[in-house]
Amino acid sequence: MSVLFPKWSNAFPTIFAIAALGGVTTAVGGFWYYATPKFWRVGYMPTQPGGGFNHQIHAGKLGMDCRYCHTKVEKSYEANIPNVATCFGCHADGKLNKLAEGTETYSPSHKTKTQFVRDAYAQDASIPWRRVHKVPDYVHNFPHHVHVAAGVSCYSCHGRIDTMPIVHHAEPMSMSWCLDCHRAPEKVLVPVDKVTDLRWVQDDLTERANAGVITPAAQKVLDAIQKAPPENCGACHY
Amino acid sequence: MTSIHPDQATAQRLAGLARQATPPPVLDPKTGDGTLIDDPAVRPPLVLNNRSFGEITDIVCGYAENKPPRWWLPVFLHAFGLAQLGGLFILYLVITGIGTWGLNNQVDWAWDITNFVFWIGIGHAGTLISAILCLLKQKWRTAVNRAAEAMTIFAVICAATFPGIHIGRQWMAWFLPPIPNANAIWPNFKSPLLWDVFAVSTYGTVSALFWFMGMIPDFATLRDRADRRLRLNPEGSPYILPFVKIRADQARAYIYGVFAMGWRMSSRHWHRYEAAYLILAGISTPLVLSVHSIVSFDFATSILPGWHTTIFPPYFVAGAIFGGFAMVLLLLIPARELYPNMKDLLTLRHIENMAKILLTTGMMVGFAYSMEFFIAWYGGNKYEVAAFVNRATGPYWWAYWTMITCNVISPQFFWSKKLRTNVVAVWLVALAVTIGMWFERFVIIVTSLHRAFLPGEYHMFHPTLVDIMVFAGSFGVFLTLFLLFLRFLPVFPIAEIKAVLPQASPHAHGHGEHDSHGSAGAHGSAGAHGHGDAGQATHAKGGH
Repeated sequence: MSVLFPKWSNAFPTIFAIAALGGVTTAVGGFWYYATPKFWRVGYMPTQPGGGFNHQIHAGKLGMDCRYCHTKVEKSYEANIPNVATCFGCHADGKLNKLAEGTETYSPSHKTKTQFVRDAYAQDASIPWRRVHKVPDYVHNFPHHVHVAAGVSCYSCHGRIDTMPIVHHAEPMSMSWCLDCHRAPEKVLVPVDKVTDLRWVQDDLTERANAGVITPAAQKVLDAIQKAPPENCGACHY
Repeated sequence: MTSIHPDQATAQRLAGLARQATPPPVLDPKTGDGTLIDDPAVRPPLVLNNRSFGEITDIVCGYAENKPPRWWLPVFLHAFGLAQLGGLFILYLVITGIGTWGLNNQVDWAWDITNFVFWIGIGHAGTLISAILCLLKQKWRTAVNRAAEAMTIFAVICAATFPGIHIGRQWMAWFLPPIPNANAIWPNFKSPLLWDVFAVSTYGTVSALFWFMGMIPDFATLRDRADRRLRLNPEGSPYILPFVKIRADQARAYIYGVFAMGWRMSSRHWHRYEAAYLILAGISTPLVLSVHSIVSFDFATSILPGWHTTIFPPYFVAGAIFGGFAMVLLLLIPARELYPNMKDLLTLRHIENMAKILLTTGMMVGFAYSMEFFIAWYGGNKYEVAAFVNRATGPYWWAYWTMITCNVISPQFFWSKKLRTNVVAVWLVALAVTIGMWFERFVIIVTSLHRAFLPGEYHMFHPTLVDIMVFAGSFGVFLTLFLLFLRFLPVFPIAEIKAVLPQASPHAHGHGEHDSHGSAGAHGSAGAHGHGDAGQATHAKGGH
């Protein structure tokens, strides 16, 4: 028996075990927290042309319905981004008189802020809005119209858009997050006529989550949808 | 010398009071080797040349301590080069895609899975020797268990490469085990491909633990010897490199010392070591049977004629042990010739025993091959009949008959004791079996896949250079690791070898050529001999 290692090296196995345990815990925990869409997708807020379309003002304060601009959401796979003509419908010269000079609600900056809309319209050009929400390319099939018709509120995927001055990504949109609703639709479905009423939906869903039961209103929705949401791979990745 | 307890003799020798004479080995005039005794009641010894305890330590530690033989470095460099070349081809495969293999729409598993099953099978000899033969108290395992366990681990490393690279998108290999992820994607728990992941990783882990734990006392011996040499002569050991001022023995003492994990050779250590060894042997025993059974489920649970067979699990296990022992013989016979003193520890008796296992398991796989045909006919499934007839007479007939020749016919030579104890013959049969077992997997995989139910689904598989080089590279990896093992690790379990020496037995009556263990019943006259002198008794062959 040779004495090569000092006595304090007897602590090494213990130290090593603790370090290994700590290292593994840190690695797993770190991966769990940082390496998921919950961390790196939520909060994505790209800079938009002209400072962005202020949803807080339009959808929140003014109470415009989502479908005023996203016209095809009930008919199409895509909830379309409106063309310049839609913006110009309100922001043409001489409209929006309430904000004009001399009125009570006069906004001096409004005219300059929205000038890029009129410029684009004059040039017959598109406004290069930057896309915020995008499912991966291997999700071939995400039909907005089916979801809206089933009573999935805009709120469930996009959050309180009506409170966002600049739109950001509110939900992780990971596959497990999709499956959460597909496996428990009773927790999120709302009456179809309430789909775009984000404040009402938020209150209703919170109340239902707190109550822990399916409310009669939700049960009505569930009874109305003809089939359970699909869970097979081909439903999205055909 | 008078009758004196062996411990006392050893103590006297260590104290320098007595020198133990090493009598010349007595060789059988007919066979030239003392191991072959015709009397079935007398067992040949497990260690030849009347080696003493100290000599065993010197021999085994010598492989790791002495300068390697002349052949070692060139052979190592070739093996390492081959491994590197295989690595480059894997890199090319990862960058370009598995289209660089000869796979096509019909034959979508070919050499990749063939090699995987081949390598996984190789490992089974090591597990059988270290687990089942340990529980059955087969003392002869001591000479081969360490090397065979090493081969198990190296083979698992080679095997694990192939599923990892055959998945196409290798960076998604982490999908193989069930890891919680943001996509909520889990592997299919009903699929044997997932069971494979568990089977192989368990197998690798348990084998590595078993191997490492067995080496701890030997690491301690290597550590203590290096330390002692340093104390006796601090300048005696050369520097590991001219410009690195660390002496080889210093490096040995500390590196082996770390791996010895504070082993002090105390009785308490040995007591726990023995208990842990038994527990690990118990854990490993089901693995001998389960791992290759699960590998066979990859095929047997499918509905493809030629794969959908209930005989697959036992047939694969027998084949794995068959191929594993062939690989053990294939490597240890040359090693034994290249390290002359290895012949004292790894005797013809060991080789003969392994040859008998080859004969037995060879007939088991032969039986399985014939049963496949019988059941195809007896079961009345014409697609299954067609699949098997296609195997034997279709475009891949040559692969099928290579398999039959190598696996069924070649072990039959071992009915002859002369051939069983002729190392050249054993080596050639082991080579044939290794080739045959590779072909067995090739035949099962490719000939079953290459013709499906419609003639439009008839395709041939042609290997590409990438196929060949990745396979050759896996042999490079295996040989590299094995050569490093021969050079740096204790190739034999020193303590276990000592335990099978005649002088280790408390009842040693000194018949140096007997396995004194477990043979008390066999020689009725053992008691009558009393405690004989080891030197004298060597001459008493057949004296019963």
